[in-house]
Amino acid sequence: MPAEASRQEILGWVVEVLQQEFEYAPDELTPDTHLIDDLDLDSIDAIDLMVRLEERTGLGFNEEDLKSLRTIRDVVDLFDGRL
Amino acid sequence: MREATQRAALSGRLGRAWRVLATGSAFALFGVLGLVLAALFTLLALLPGDSEARELRCQRIVHHTFRFFIRYMQALGILRFHIEGAEALRMPGQVVVANHPTLLDVVFLVSQMPQADCVVKAEAWSNPFMRGVVTAAGYVPNDEGEALVDACADRVARGRTLVLFPEGTRSPLRGLGRFRRGAAHIALRAGRPLRPVTIRCEPPSLMRGQRWYAVPPRRMNFTLECADVLDPTLLASGEQRRSVAARVVTAALREFFGKRVLEREATVQHGRPGETS
Repeated sequence: MPAEASRQEILGWVVEVLQQEFEYAPDELTPDTHLIDDLDLDSIDAIDLMVRLEERTGLGFNEEDLKSLRTIRDVVDLFDGRL
Repeated sequence: MREATQRAALSGRLGRAWRVLATGSAFALFGVLGLVLAALFTLLALLPGDSEARELRCQRIVHHTFRFFIRYMQALGILRFHIEGAEALRMPGQVVVANHPTLLDVVFLVSQMPQADCVVKAEAWSNPFMRGVVTAAGYVPNDEGEALVDACADRVARGRTLVLFPEGTRSPLRGLGRFRRGAAHIALRAGRPLRPVTIRCEPPSLMRGQRWYAVPPRRMNFTLECADVLDPTLLASGEQRRSVAARVVTAALREFFGKRVLEREATVQHGRPGETS
């Protein structure tokens, strides 16, 4: 599978989880959307988000990973290249 | 007529100079009390009893100390203090939430609560005047996260009462800061009610960014108003996703305080701090 497609796929998962778990509208969710400034996610939300993505991707993450996340793109980057 | 005005202006200035001195002494006393309590708590830790009994004992002593501290400030003429519905703060197993206009808010709240688990800025654990007290009393540092929510919800479910400021820091000069969702998460997980307390200070004083010696033109009037409890489970009405439930409950809290604080600000003519009367 080309890397480009799988990146697109991961973005789709992130957007889907944010819609389903937090009820954000799809048009609020772009790669540049800031998790804290735009979506007001807190650390508990971040854990919920990552647990759902873990279920989707089968990939684990650790607490350190969470600290570096700023935007939706950062979340995609975290999983991209490891799938 | 002119003389009377001049006399009033002079006594106003004298009154103000007195309140600057008195306020300075109150700040100094607060620091001293912090150190004295820390020393006392070190000794008390030698007494038998489990860690919970120790924490509760320290919390009761902090409560009495804050009562004394407020009486001291009242006696010096720095402030007046009035509370409505104080007995509601003694109900066990609730999450007390308040807006946070001034530096003294937690002092007033705890002065009414023989038992209070306070959520305190994490910096207090590295402040030499506060470290001893916040540690011995089992207060909770406010670094966000699951661990904080779990530890607090566990205490509240066991009947201890928690005090926290949803804004996480002092309110802006006008209005309210962004509400964090920790209080909602804790109350939801513990299945215990939220008790909103509205705090007002007239004229506005001891606010964010103000120096301690910028005393207001008049004596400070503090009013605390304890409202009926809010049931978080009812507010969330069966929402299973905790993130969404916490958002719903926090929005309700924000609305509750918004009504009281913002409407009040619209009707009250504020004397700006730093102005002479």
